[in-house]
Amino acid sequence: MIGALIIILTLGLFGTTQCVNNPVEEEVGNGRYVIEGRVYPPDDQNLHSWQVDTRIHVNGGEYIGFIREDSTFVIHNVPTGSYVVEVINPDYMYEPVRVEINSKGKYRARKLNYIQTSQVIQVQYPLRMKVLTKFRYFQVREQWRLTDFMFNPMVIMMVLPLLLIMVLPKMMNDPETKEDLKQISNLAKMSDMPEMSEMFTSLFSGGSSAKAASASAKAKQVKKKQ
Amino acid sequence: MGLLSNKFKPNFLGLLKFLNSLNFFIVFFSLINLSVCIYEDQIGKFDWRQSYVGRIKFSEFDTVSTAKKIIVATEENVLAALNLKTGQVVWRHVLESASTGNIQLLHVSKRVVTVTGANPYLVRGWDPATGVLIWEWSLTLQNDDHADFSEWWVQEYNVLVHMLPIYGSHIEVTMYNLVTGHNRGATSKLPAVWTNDGCILTAPYYTCIGKELIHSLDVTSNAIQLISKPLSLYVPNAGDVTLRPLDGNSISPGFIINDKKIVIIKNNDLKLLETALGDQSASASIIDSSSGPILVQSWSDELKGFFLTAHSLTSGQEVREIQYSDKDLHIPEPEISAAVCSSARENICRFFVTGADDAAHLLQQGGRVLWTREEALANVVAVEFVDLPVSDLDAAIESEFDQKEAAKMYSSIWAAFSRRLHTQLQQLQALLQSLQGERTAGNDPEPLVRDYFNLHKIIVLVTDVGKIFGMDNLSGELLWRRYEPQLDADGALIFTRRSARHPPHDAYITIVGKHEETGNGLIINLNPIRGVSVGDSRLHLDAPLLQVAMLPRADADKLHALLLLDSHRDVLVLPLSAAPLVQDMYMYVAEKETAKVQGYSLRYDGVRVVAQQTWSLSLGGGGGGGGGGGGGGVRVVRAVTAGAVGAAAGSVLADRSVLYKYLNPNLVLFLAEGPDPVHKDVVVAWVVDGVSGGVVAAQTTRRARLAPAAPALLAGHAAAYVYYSDKHRRHEIATMELYEGKERWLPAGAAFSSLTCERAPSVQRQAYILPAAPLAATFTVTERSLADIHVLLALSSGAVVEIPWAAVSARRSVIADDEGLPPYLPELPLPHDAVLSYNRSLQRPRALHAAPAGLESTSLVLLTGLDLFYTRVAPSKTFDLLKDDFDYNLISIVLVALVVATYSTKYFASRKMLRVAWK
Repeated sequence: MIGALIIILTLGLFGTTQCVNNPVEEEVGNGRYVIEGRVYPPDDQNLHSWQVDTRIHVNGGEYIGFIREDSTFVIHNVPTGSYVVEVINPDYMYEPVRVEINSKGKYRARKLNYIQTSQVIQVQYPLRMKVLTKFRYFQVREQWRLTDFMFNPMVIMMVLPLLLIMVLPKMMNDPETKEDLKQISNLAKMSDMPEMSEMFTSLFSGGSSAKAASASAKAKQVKKKQ
Repeated sequence: MGLLSNKFKPNFLGLLKFLNSLNFFIVFFSLINLSVCIYEDQIGKFDWRQSYVGRIKFSEFDTVSTAKKIIVATEENVLAALNLKTGQVVWRHVLESASTGNIQLLHVSKRVVTVTGANPYLVRGWDPATGVLIWEWSLTLQNDDHADFSEWWVQEYNVLVHMLPIYGSHIEVTMYNLVTGHNRGATSKLPAVWTNDGCILTAPYYTCIGKELIHSLDVTSNAIQLISKPLSLYVPNAGDVTLRPLDGNSISPGFIINDKKIVIIKNNDLKLLETALGDQSASASIIDSSSGPILVQSWSDELKGFFLTAHSLTSGQEVREIQYSDKDLHIPEPEISAAVCSSARENICRFFVTGADDAAHLLQQGGRVLWTREEALANVVAVEFVDLPVSDLDAAIESEFDQKEAAKMYSSIWAAFSRRLHTQLQQLQALLQSLQGERTAGNDPEPLVRDYFNLHKIIVLVTDVGKIFGMDNLSGELLWRRYEPQLDADGALIFTRRSARHPPHDAYITIVGKHEETGNGLIINLNPIRGVSVGDSRLHLDAPLLQVAMLPRADADKLHALLLLDSHRDVLVLPLSAAPLVQDMYMYVAEKETAKVQGYSLRYDGVRVVAQQTWSLSLGGGGGGGGGGGGGGVRVVRAVTAGAVGAAAGSVLADRSVLYKYLNPNLVLFLAEGPDPVHKDVVVAWVVDGVSGGVVAAQTTRRARLAPAAPALLAGHAAAYVYYSDKHRRHEIATMELYEGKERWLPAGAAFSSLTCERAPSVQRQAYILPAAPLAATFTVTERSLADIHVLLALSSGAVVEIPWAAVSARRSVIADDEGLPPYLPELPLPHDAVLSYNRSLQRPRALHAAPAGLESTSLVLLTGLDLFYTRVAPSKTFDLLKDDFDYNLISIVLVALVVATYSTKYFASRKMLRVAWK
């Protein structure tokens, strides 16, 4: 403690507040505004740290905001102007919003439209950012499915002639099927194609009895044949 | 009737047109769908990402949470947590790159507290385990003039202290509640006439050197107690006295006087430590250990390597178990950024040390380096892809076909025949060895040799701090590193002067930069494969350089000479013996601030190479007609040269005629930006012939601005650049294509000459709206430029997007009259599956680099920035390569089955024939 000079002074207290941290006062004071809003987390995610992976970019990173635990965000110290607010998440897409702050400190949030820049579709402010879609970065690998294979035109083109060539002659050779085929052809002949002449005679003869008789006679004839 | 047909006809035509355009849409979208994206199981197969944080500014061990971490805040405005075991990033927050993101304070206790920005400041609290933001409040100082001198620290019981010294007058001290920002007792002004700009803060003491006296003041105590002591107590001759604080979150306030003595402040008294500083440049810190506080120091000596010493603060004795020195460990100018000793066990200490080369090392006591992070890679300036040498065997085979050598050695057929047998025997041996090697699982790492498709390369990276790296492009592993403290790498260039293709000679690259102190040219020659210096390793020129070019013709040693144009307009040829090879060389020099471009012609006059100015062009005043003040304030933002020219000479139109491209290899694209009296800001793009100085095309965009590193591209006949339209408040990409017309100007195969070509090409222009903010761009580059050109854009959102040139082509018009090109649409879609980097967000991308592989279809891409991202792209699909998921098993099974079926049917058929014959 040799030669040490200890000067004791009373603490000077000055009433001037140096910091103003209330945003409302801030607007009046420095023309610095805040952009605030809430980001709704994606539904199907394990919700432990999506706030860390998600950022708010204003004008492509000119101002950057971070999401608090309660999923709200505030971007401080933004001067008046027009800003594009984007929520950046590696897996989910959010719709960007244009926020305009005029010189009086009035906010207007509207849908971002790069083509018709003057079109105004207002959205809610403070901002509510919701997931639009999940990013689809990857091609889906085609899986081998039987139905795909079967209905492939090439396969059908191959298989059908094969069937015709291989199966039909085999069936022809089989005696039972031969019988069946004959029957089918006979039946077809009978039912579908009644003889023209008979049709006309029956039509022009007129008599219902004659018609019935002739029909029964015909039936007998058929039976005899068989 | 006539009326009806009149009405009907245009409708019908319209329908036809509509169908036609629909057709193009189908063609176009089928092309798009065919394009770029990968399968989910290919993640990490062709690409890798490395995350960096930048040079460490503040760091602190997080000993509170269960998973041990180091919290770091960096010069790159990044706040991150690093895993203590592996050094990997646990979480990371990238703040604004401007001054609004500057981190002023990092404090780790239960919460991580940061103060960022430069008036207004933001105080944020983060959760150390997850990195989630907990609280945030803004603070604006009314006294903006002195705000830069602000000092911040956190005291106990959640008090944030802000101190603002006003030199020679007083100190303002304000305390805030850390969480809410409530001002506790407003600002106190402490009179302090003894303050000056040499003062240092060792919280909570503010120490200054006065005349013969040393003052120190605890600025937070309620009763002001100024400690003043005569300087002579600490330094023998009080001349120029400098102070610097102790590093690494020292537990007790202290400072170093004149880089020699260490003084700590204890009980309101200055106490000189018995232990002097071990070295002038040593970094010292006081840490807590199980045996009381200890003073640790670390420094590095060029010959003796790295030193770490520890002394007990109370007794002044050496603490042997922590002391350590290593001859082989070279950390230039080490600084103890953080240190911690575990209190549970006997002095297990860990030191987080940052070097002047930006590398961050975590050392455990006993000298074990747990991990090293090369943070210099967060600031890559120049990139070059270098081919690997062929293996010895391949070299031997290839030498057979070398005309000269063959003529020398194999005059007779027999000699050639025996040689052929010999090489084939060698190949057989190599095959057998590789088969054996597979079984024994080779222990030694594979030698770096070129693979069959030349996909394996070395990436040489020059970083801002002057560290040069050689990186394996397939794994991202660092193969070699060199620190060149003299190199000011800003605007450095790398030239591959000799590739590894010429077996007796090694590969040779040259890095051209500036000298750190003088600003004159500095040339570093390296072997890129092993990272060792070759030739005259370091060449310090005596003048600043204006322009550098590599001679296209190699000398007898297959070495391409460098032509350096210095500020005296003198030309230096490296090596000097190559001067006679200088022929038809032209250079341009663009002055950034005045937007004046000059063209030089380089000639060899029998003695030396002289540069003669041949043309000059003012990019600012060109439009106004008069020279004078018209170009005031215009500055050149980017200049891009065309380089190699694509092979396809024209594009085929819908009517089967050919539109020939204007393929001038000498083109330079300049982007200039300047104020305009009517339109605020104007962006002008100039396409200039670098040889003749003729303006080939120019384009003005009004009410537009350019980013400092505005993406600009030029290749073959196509040019593109990105600007920000102030009028519409959006980013736009403007493209230009240059065409000769439907007839060729020169016969096919004739070399283009800028000096004989008098005709101006027709220019097609178009602009597209980009629904994102691109920060970097490149064209894909392939071996012979036969594959399509794609544009790669790195966006501020952290994605790298691949867009086919057809999508941004200047030939897209509203009426679709061309196959393969869709009709013009103003907005350029950026589909999700065109994102090469998928969900790996790449923070703060700075530049994209593309290089050709040995396969024509493939282009290798590296993105630099805060993260490094490497991938490979195939603009025209991999037409020359089997798909990587090609099923070799299936095809071999099918083949075998077919062979078996053939032979079995043959057998059965013969048996049947026999049976038939017997019947």
